[in-house]
Amino acid sequence: MNCEEARLLIGADPSASAPGLEEHLQTCPACSHFREEMRALDADIHRAMAHPPPAVRVRARPVPWRQWALAASAVLAVFALFAVWLLRPSDTLAHEVVTHVQGEPESWFATQHVSAQGIDKVLRGSGVQLDINSDRIMYAQSCWFRGHYVPHLVVETARGPATVMILRHEEVSAPQKFREAGMTGIIVPAGQGSIAVLARGVVGVDDIAAQMSQDVHWLPVTH
Amino acid sequence: MRNSPPESPVSSISGQLPAADARAAITQLFESLRPDLLRFAHWLARDRAIAEDIVQESLTRAWTSRDSLKDPTAGRAWLLTIVRREHARLYERKRLELVPLEDIVETHAGPRPAEPDGDLFVLRDAIMKLPIEYREPLVLQVIGGFTTEEIARELALSSTAVLTRLFRARNKLRVICGMVAAPDVGASEAAS
Repeated sequence: MNCEEARLLIGADPSASAPGLEEHLQTCPACSHFREEMRALDADIHRAMAHPPPAVRVRARPVPWRQWALAASAVLAVFALFAVWLLRPSDTLAHEVVTHVQGEPESWFATQHVSAQGIDKVLRGSGVQLDINSDRIMYAQSCWFRGHYVPHLVVETARGPATVMILRHEEVSAPQKFREAGMTGIIVPAGQGSIAVLARGVVGVDDIAAQMSQDVHWLPVTH
Repeated sequence: MRNSPPESPVSSISGQLPAADARAAITQLFESLRPDLLRFAHWLARDRAIAEDIVQESLTRAWTSRDSLKDPTAGRAWLLTIVRREHARLYERKRLELVPLEDIVETHAGPRPAEPDGDLFVLRDAIMKLPIEYREPLVLQVIGGFTTEEIARELALSSTAVLTRLFRARNKLRVICGMVAAPDVGASEAAS
């Protein structure tokens, strides 16, 4: 038996005794000393393991799923911010439309449709005609808005009442969606101006705006 | 298959005693060995609550297959083997993430008076931090009293591999205890 073999046996089990090992130890003081050290260590190991392991204080350690959750939260937050940015009143036009509608809360609760004469009166001077059944128009007012009288209608749709403001004098370059004061809205370019459509709650208003764009006929401007 | 029920010794306890007496004997055996089993599981799992679960599950399994315990004097080794396999099964079943203990456990600089054998705290801490491939054979040897051959059989390793692991485990502890590390020895570890 050589030193390496002897130390492997001693390290694995310091209390072990084998004829070959004992023979080697008689001629190798270094390995004998190694066994003495290892036996002393082993006695300590036995004493140490005679009791349950020490209580440990576990540090908070982020586990992978938490890291993923954190990353997902960050991405969601970015998307949420982006959505808020997209749906913000893109300018004061949307905000003023919302403010105006808020100023006429009774408009949402009209239960009787407006007469054809009433609608004509509202549309008079607005420069538009409506290709829409008057039975669906529950509210119609000519409202002062940004220096002009504009038609303010509430139209009954399959998704409930929708406010429509025909803004002949307000141009927008592209559809602008917004969500404010519990209302969802869109302002779409139409004719020489734009049409604002609002609904209460989170309601898809794109198709209502698209339908209104078809139903509104813009008359030539007369100076 | 490492997780098959341990082979049982000679003749069944229940074959030697009336049923009621046999049950009482098994219960007494379980109760008397429970602290050892818990300490054994605790050193393997490094967590008291998990160790208790392992022991509970192990005793349930042992009770179910109590008829296979044929030699009461082999009861300790039989139960320790069940506990070790239950520990292995837990890690396989739950696929628990193994992380270096030093990553999650705060290290204490010196002995703490509240610990038994406070002067050995550093050593106890070092044993806790041994990787499972070194800690497991050491626990089997020191607490379980298993021989190298028995450990090799239990861990499905060659005897040389077990000797190497035990040597390396103690060599790491030597360094922790302020001694010079012995030159590494042993062969590559091969399964038996």
